[in-house]
Amino acid sequence: MASWSCRFLLQRGTRIFSLRTAAESPAHVAACIRTVKTTTWFDEHLTEDNQEYMRKSTAQEYRRQTADKLNPLKDEPWQRQEWTQGSRRVGLVAVKLGMAPIWTKTGERHVATMLQVQDCHVIKHLSKEEYDGHTAALLVGGKNVSPFHRSEEQMEMFRNAGVPPKHKVTTFKVSDNALIKPGTPLYAAHFRPGQYVDITAKSIGKGFQGVMKRYGFKGQPATHGQTKTHRRPGASGPGGDPAKVFKGKKMPGMMGNIFVTEYGLKIWRVNTKYNVLYVNGSVPGHKNCVLKIRDTVLPNRSSTLLSPPFPTYFTEEEGDLDEDLYDDNLFIHTDPSLTLT
Amino acid sequence: MAACAKGLDKCMFSLRLLRNPRLQNERFISTSLCRLAPAYNSEEPPKFTPPPKPVIIDKTQTVASLRKFLSPEFIPPRQRTDPFKFSIERKDMIRRRKVLNIPEFYAGSILAVTMADPNASGKMNRFVGICIQRGGKGLGATCVLRNIIDNQGVEICYELYSPRIQKIDVLKLEKRLDDNLMYLRDALNEYSSVDPDMKPVPFSPTGEVPFNKMKVRMRPKPWSKRWERPKFNIQGIRFDLSLTPEKMEHAQKWAQPWLEYDMLKEYDTSKLEEQIFREFQQEMSK
Amino acid sequence: MALHLLTRSLTGLLVESSSMIQPRTFSVTAVAAAIQKMTRVRVVDNSSLGNTPWHRPPRVIHVYTKNGVGKVGDRVLLAIKGQKKKALIVGHKMPGERMSPRFDSNNVVLIEDNGNPTGTRIKVPLPTHLRKVDGDYSKVLAIANSFV
Repeated sequence: MASWSCRFLLQRGTRIFSLRTAAESPAHVAACIRTVKTTTWFDEHLTEDNQEYMRKSTAQEYRRQTADKLNPLKDEPWQRQEWTQGSRRVGLVAVKLGMAPIWTKTGERHVATMLQVQDCHVIKHLSKEEYDGHTAALLVGGKNVSPFHRSEEQMEMFRNAGVPPKHKVTTFKVSDNALIKPGTPLYAAHFRPGQYVDITAKSIGKGFQGVMKRYGFKGQPATHGQTKTHRRPGASGPGGDPAKVFKGKKMPGMMGNIFVTEYGLKIWRVNTKYNVLYVNGSVPGHKNCVLKIRDTVLPNRSSTLLSPPFPTYFTEEEGDLDEDLYDDNLFIHTDPSLTLT
Repeated sequence: MAACAKGLDKCMFSLRLLRNPRLQNERFISTSLCRLAPAYNSEEPPKFTPPPKPVIIDKTQTVASLRKFLSPEFIPPRQRTDPFKFSIERKDMIRRRKVLNIPEFYAGSILAVTMADPNASGKMNRFVGICIQRGGKGLGATCVLRNIIDNQGVEICYELYSPRIQKIDVLKLEKRLDDNLMYLRDALNEYSSVDPDMKPVPFSPTGEVPFNKMKVRMRPKPWSKRWERPKFNIQGIRFDLSLTPEKMEHAQKWAQPWLEYDMLKEYDTSKLEEQIFREFQQEMSK
Repeated sequence: MALHLLTRSLTGLLVESSSMIQPRTFSVTAVAAAIQKMTRVRVVDNSSLGNTPWHRPPRVIHVYTKNGVGKVGDRVLLAIKGQKKKALIVGHKMPGERMSPRFDSNNVVLIEDNGNPTGTRIKVPLPTHLRKVDGDYSKVLAIANSFV
């Protein structure tokens, strides 16, 4: 398909050349080069009605699949085990909504990031041997997307789990007692207020940057006889003896757009109705980016994880959770104003 | 028949006339009624009728405004954030507003804010000042109050949804020529001086908001910002007193008249506002 | 012509004095970094040292903090009337935390080396969160006129 369109456009380009529309022709050629790279859209050869039908039926199919998975306990769940100290639970895939202020009961203001857990499902279980020989792992996906940009292997995986294709699929190392059956939906109530989490996401890309922005080098003075040297890195190492630049020298280069993990962020509040987590402070990534949340690995914060929902939160078991779960220190907006002493 | 109708009409008219001043000046009317009452009694000695209790409706109390007003922090900024984020934030804002009455006010209104302060005597801090700026969207909405105390300009930036805020009173509701009165920092002190023990000025809960077209006189330059520049677009300064016409013309050098025609910068919120207002009213009446 | 100019300047002076502005004979340091070295400050107590006119305004020549930026409650060293004198910052132009006052001038109170204030009264309101850094400045708080 791509090659065909390419040929067509090239032909068009030559035709324009032959017409000698001097001012416009270079632009057309450029456009032609760009068009070659485009992918095929699913609705390229469909009529309006068919497109509409496709959209509706996929949406219906997704809804049906999600609804089927709503009670995984019904069809022979896997063996459940008790929470023990040192078990590693699965994490979540969430979408970053934005930031909002929150207040504690002492009147202090903090900022929190709102993360929404959208259509998060367990996709696949990798046993110890399949994964790396040390721990078992679970693949978790979040945020439904169109199936048209997924490869056949990926689609196979989603089909096996019986869930719609996902925007992002990540791997969580889990201990053997925390395994969950593929297809189980995961909710924001998997995490509870007061516990600490680690969040991994791709940071905002800054492009190719110099050392002053990328690593915070000082640069050189603005005046006093500087020639073409104001924001440059300066010397890159000793001469003479090593007679080389050491590996890992901080140099200009691409900044951002790498996976960054923020450790030990407190969960202030969980909205169980809309599956929104309020996490302390900022997290990497832009708005609406998809990120990965897990219980923190920091040794001194793990004590906050006392009898969490294990291996995850099942709606059938504690279906009567409040709409909002708050941390003990958090001010709830329905309370009267604070009087401080 | 026609004459009768006419007479009735007249009667109604006079009644309406009577009622109108009552609405405006309840206190005055009620006290005068009280004074009249004993005289009325003396005409009919046998039967004692207790004088009607003076109904003193204290008009100095601020009443909740009845006009259609949506606080500016409810309108989401134009950006690529999921609208769901704003709607969930709005829920929290409405919850807080059910506990704390955040009245209608504008830049230029005079406010009194009572705030819990662990360091203040009595653990309460009341500050009266003129609102010079409203900022922030969603739960982070703020307003800046300014006053001159002991000849010293003081400003406090209040977070409207902070739980430390105990009470917000509008002492005088009015609009000014500009939406941002930061230039009062460079104006003469008299324009931002407010008496801390000021009594609330009554205002009608319906109808137009009083519009103060006062223009302020400035201190001699230098100012904190060049207010004459077109980007501030300030109407409320008497520039003719502090700047020469040549200087005013010179400031126009920084004008960007083409921005007015930038269609990408247009952000029409009227529909959104309507929708949010409906949601707001529904939730508040619950 | 000269007479005209003179009258104009005179009227200007009159206007200024009548409208009770704090004297602004010198330009005022920008808001950028609260109080730092070379910041011109206003002495707000009634000590004779701070209130007698002098041909140059009091300046901060050292800030006793780790980062060299002084906020409310920090001690600074002033160059005032040709001598060195310690002072306590009691308000600055740079906005601090929310819900705390911001002042139109950089205010200091002169203190002795042991923390006692030099003057006997403070003419302007003090921020209440100065009480948080209490302890050795209780005498400064005691002579305050009002709090905001």
